[in-house]
Amino acid sequence: MSAATLSVSGRRSRKNNSPRNLKKEGYRVSQKTPWGNPIVYFFSLLLVAICVSPVLYIIFGGFRTNSQITNDPAGWPNPWNAQNYISVVTSSTFWIEMVNSIIVAICTVVGVVVLAVMVSFAISRYHFKMSKAMYSLFSAGLMFPMTVAITPLYLMVRNLGLANSLGGIILPQIAFGLPQAIIILVPFLQSIPLELEEACMLDGCSRLGFFWRMALPLAMPGVATVGILTFVSSWNSYMLPLFVLNTENNYTLPLGVQMFSSQHSADTAQVLAFTSLAMLPALICFTIFQKKIVGGLTGAVKG
Amino acid sequence: MKFKTIAAATLAAATMFSMAACGNNGASKADDSTITFWHNSTAGEGKQYWDDVAAAFEKANPGVKVEVQSIQNEDFDGKLQTAMQDPSTGPDVFMQRGGEKTEDLIEAGQLMDLSDKIDDTIKTDMKTALTAATFDDKVYGVPVSVEPGGLWYSVDLFKQAGITDTPTTWDDLLKDATQLKDAGIDAIALGAKDAWPAAHWFYWLALRECSPKAFQSAVGDKDFSDQCWVDAGNKLEDLNKLGVFNDGFLTTSAQQGASSSAGLLANHKAAMELMGAWEPGVVKDLTPDKTAMKDLSYFAFPSVEGGKGEEGALMGGVTFFSVNALAGDNAVKFVNFIASKENQENYAKAFSTIPASEPARNVVTDPALKTVISYLDKAPTMQQWMDTDLGSNVGNALNTAIVNMLTGKGTVDDIISTMKSAAAK
Amino acid sequence: MSASMDAAITARPLDEDKNAQDKKKASARSAKVRNGFEITVLSAPAIIVFVFFVIVPIILGAYYGLYKWKGFGSPSTTGTFVGLQNYITALKDPTFQSAIGHTFLVLIGSLILQGPLSILFALLLNQKFKGRALIRTLIFVPYVVSEVIVGTGWSLLLQKAGAINALLEKMHLAGIDWIANPKYAIWTLLVIITWKYIGFAVILMLAGMQSIPEELYEAAKVDGAGFWQMQKDITLPLLAPTIRIWAFLSMIGSLQLFDLVYIIWGQYVADTAGVSTMATYMVREGRIAGNYGYGSAVALIMFIISLIVALTYQHFVLNRDLDGALTDAKSEKKRKKKLMKEQQMAKEAIAIADSEVK
Repeated sequence: MSAATLSVSGRRSRKNNSPRNLKKEGYRVSQKTPWGNPIVYFFSLLLVAICVSPVLYIIFGGFRTNSQITNDPAGWPNPWNAQNYISVVTSSTFWIEMVNSIIVAICTVVGVVVLAVMVSFAISRYHFKMSKAMYSLFSAGLMFPMTVAITPLYLMVRNLGLANSLGGIILPQIAFGLPQAIIILVPFLQSIPLELEEACMLDGCSRLGFFWRMALPLAMPGVATVGILTFVSSWNSYMLPLFVLNTENNYTLPLGVQMFSSQHSADTAQVLAFTSLAMLPALICFTIFQKKIVGGLTGAVKG
Repeated sequence: MKFKTIAAATLAAATMFSMAACGNNGASKADDSTITFWHNSTAGEGKQYWDDVAAAFEKANPGVKVEVQSIQNEDFDGKLQTAMQDPSTGPDVFMQRGGEKTEDLIEAGQLMDLSDKIDDTIKTDMKTALTAATFDDKVYGVPVSVEPGGLWYSVDLFKQAGITDTPTTWDDLLKDATQLKDAGIDAIALGAKDAWPAAHWFYWLALRECSPKAFQSAVGDKDFSDQCWVDAGNKLEDLNKLGVFNDGFLTTSAQQGASSSAGLLANHKAAMELMGAWEPGVVKDLTPDKTAMKDLSYFAFPSVEGGKGEEGALMGGVTFFSVNALAGDNAVKFVNFIASKENQENYAKAFSTIPASEPARNVVTDPALKTVISYLDKAPTMQQWMDTDLGSNVGNALNTAIVNMLTGKGTVDDIISTMKSAAAK
Repeated sequence: MSASMDAAITARPLDEDKNAQDKKKASARSAKVRNGFEITVLSAPAIIVFVFFVIVPIILGAYYGLYKWKGFGSPSTTGTFVGLQNYITALKDPTFQSAIGHTFLVLIGSLILQGPLSILFALLLNQKFKGRALIRTLIFVPYVVSEVIVGTGWSLLLQKAGAINALLEKMHLAGIDWIANPKYAIWTLLVIITWKYIGFAVILMLAGMQSIPEELYEAAKVDGAGFWQMQKDITLPLLAPTIRIWAFLSMIGSLQLFDLVYIIWGQYVADTAGVSTMATYMVREGRIAGNYGYGSAVALIMFIISLIVALTYQHFVLNRDLDGALTDAKSEKKRKKKLMKEQQMAKEAIAIADSEVK
């Protein structure tokens, strides 16, 4: 592996017992994070402002009426109009769709993580010639847009009896989520030092035992990364549910936006309110796993 | 090797699975007691109307269930195409707009010939609308609405600019538009982001310029050699040069919400818009208090000096409902049911539009729509929207070329050459 | 022959007359059999799901591409077989050519804009200060929000009569047609893309920076190096693998770019404004226009272009890090040599650093 890899694993072992060691070695005097330089704050906040303000515009837009948006595009809600949000929150369809979206997202995440970890382990820790071919096959999947495959894909889903069911979305989403997951996980698993595996073998564990006891826990941050990325893409997925789902009780949130755009017009303010509320779970999910994602990507990157 | 075996075996199984559909095409639907019905009204009164109609039908026909699904307009064709890959599981009754898309379905044998199956009242009450659903003398759908186009304008803004009479000739229109512009008003709202609203200007000019024969040979044989096409393009360019379209018309969508061209008209930010008869319904949702726009009125597309088109001819769309070729009797019953006078009257109210059934038009109260009906009664013909008729293949290319011309990126000649090359795809 | 194939062959019962030497081999072989079995168990589920829902639909899509077909019925009955004609028409179409051009502009533009910016931002957020976690989360917000929402928001902001121009007007500045004017459109697109995806790049870069041993910086400090000097000499070289992976993901993303353009510009104006991409062309000429055969052909062209880009990149750049996924074994030896050298250097560097810290 590259220099970075090596140093990472070196660092990780140190990290595991970090606070004490670091203190002893005098790296960090205090465990408290210090307040930063004002310049650092200035630029960080500027960056945050740039990133967040368009999203805030969407959220505030939900408090306005269509007419307000047309007449004064840059204005504040005047008067504030909570009706859009209230009507979303009080509609039962919103909550049904929320539950469906959560079911689909969680099942997809579990499916992608389990299958990708298994196959990545095979690719990265077993020596067989086809491993490369397998890796290529999966990474090629990243380069084909789902838009075109949708018609044959729908037929497949329907012939398996999964049309108009959440399963009909989950399975294809798992399949389309695999390439990215494998590309992230393979280098991650590869970077686990061989010495660890040998040590485990000496202790009498099998390859699979090593997988279960050592590789999996060590790859946890990578798994978290894959999980959160899969969650976000499942949460926002529109095309597949559109083609597979036929009854409103099965709709997911992205399809729910339809309710506000009729044949000839769209209720912009309602759409803004709806989407603002719909993005919350994905943001919460990200906030919770934020720390792990940084750890996880570290692994992915070491290559 | 393991990998190869697994991959090969799966591939074989999967291919079998995905192809399994092809065998079913001949069989008719097993279960006739459930009708799947697809329409495109995803919100508001329109959606409610269809739910009510389905419930009423179920009540009148015990044991029959109507599964209603509303699909957003833009997604409708794609979803229908995919679902009709296997007609035996596709929808039984679904919306159609005629033109080449419907012809493609007919060619694939997927639409039921309804000529002998529709009630006689439909044939008499909907006579004009029915022509849009008739192909090779066979009826393939039951119409629900007729939506001719024309110019929708704000009476107040016209007054403000000192315009007393609505324009009846093209030159009048240019003059009035300039007058509005000089009064500091955006004269014409144009949703060019969606392209077709811009293209409508070209279609209407062509309808006025071209003789019926030249128009038909363009739509039928994709022959655009007549000089009238160039004249129509030049006239549109004249209008464009006046700078009377709303500021930023290229990024304005037609109906998608608050900042669309319909929204501009609704909020008195532009004086007029060329649009179909759905306009009052759209504008209603976008006014400050979400009620009908009080000073909205209508005038027909003006005539063109020296034009060879039929006097007073209109262009517009007809929405109709077709039946899956494999569907059973209940589906046929259902389309007849929606065409009843009572249902048509409710349709007109729910959608604020003109119903296909002529006797049902009495319930229309909107003054602007009443004006449209008076023009409709006088019109010798109502031409299908040109892009629908040409098929999306050529129609899309035409729409694009017209937008290009408006931005100065293309010329009138480009429009005609683009249409020719589009036919190759 | 693969290891598992060996295993399969040798799994047959051994002949009686084999000599004792075979016993050792037999145990090795049984290990191989087990290996093969384990590989099968581990990879079969993923392969089955992937082949069913990705590979087969793609193959069928490619098959549709050989027909002039409107999408109803099956291509062999309602379509006309046109062979490679669709592919030729597409490659000859100037609209498609310009779409390819725009796509590559986006590809290069994203690399140039996002690369340096994300490294700078990551350096900033790599400083230890209170509230860092919150700020990291917030810059990831645009990435989490779906393209559809982002597109709707930005079109409301950037329309000629939109919020940004209204704001400029309040400051007595003239507004610009950000979206439709071909002079600015591509830049608008690049800015939006940067906004949307920079969070992801920053997090990647940050992660890469966590993996650089602090000892190196300590040592450099002892030598009297300044902040920027250290970033140039230590951070950048050691961040290189991260940068290379990010660039790969970014390139693939650019080649498939669709939603943002489609929602903000719409299918028609994208062309005029000079921001249409291969994917928007494909959807417009394929699905929307009802030319399903043609659309499939365009998709296959896209796939091949993506593959060529990926292969080229992997061959020249990425295979320094990755297990040359798509390249052959020849480069393997070179790569290993190089890796050994890099490892050696890194070890030395750490050793030096450690000793100096002490």
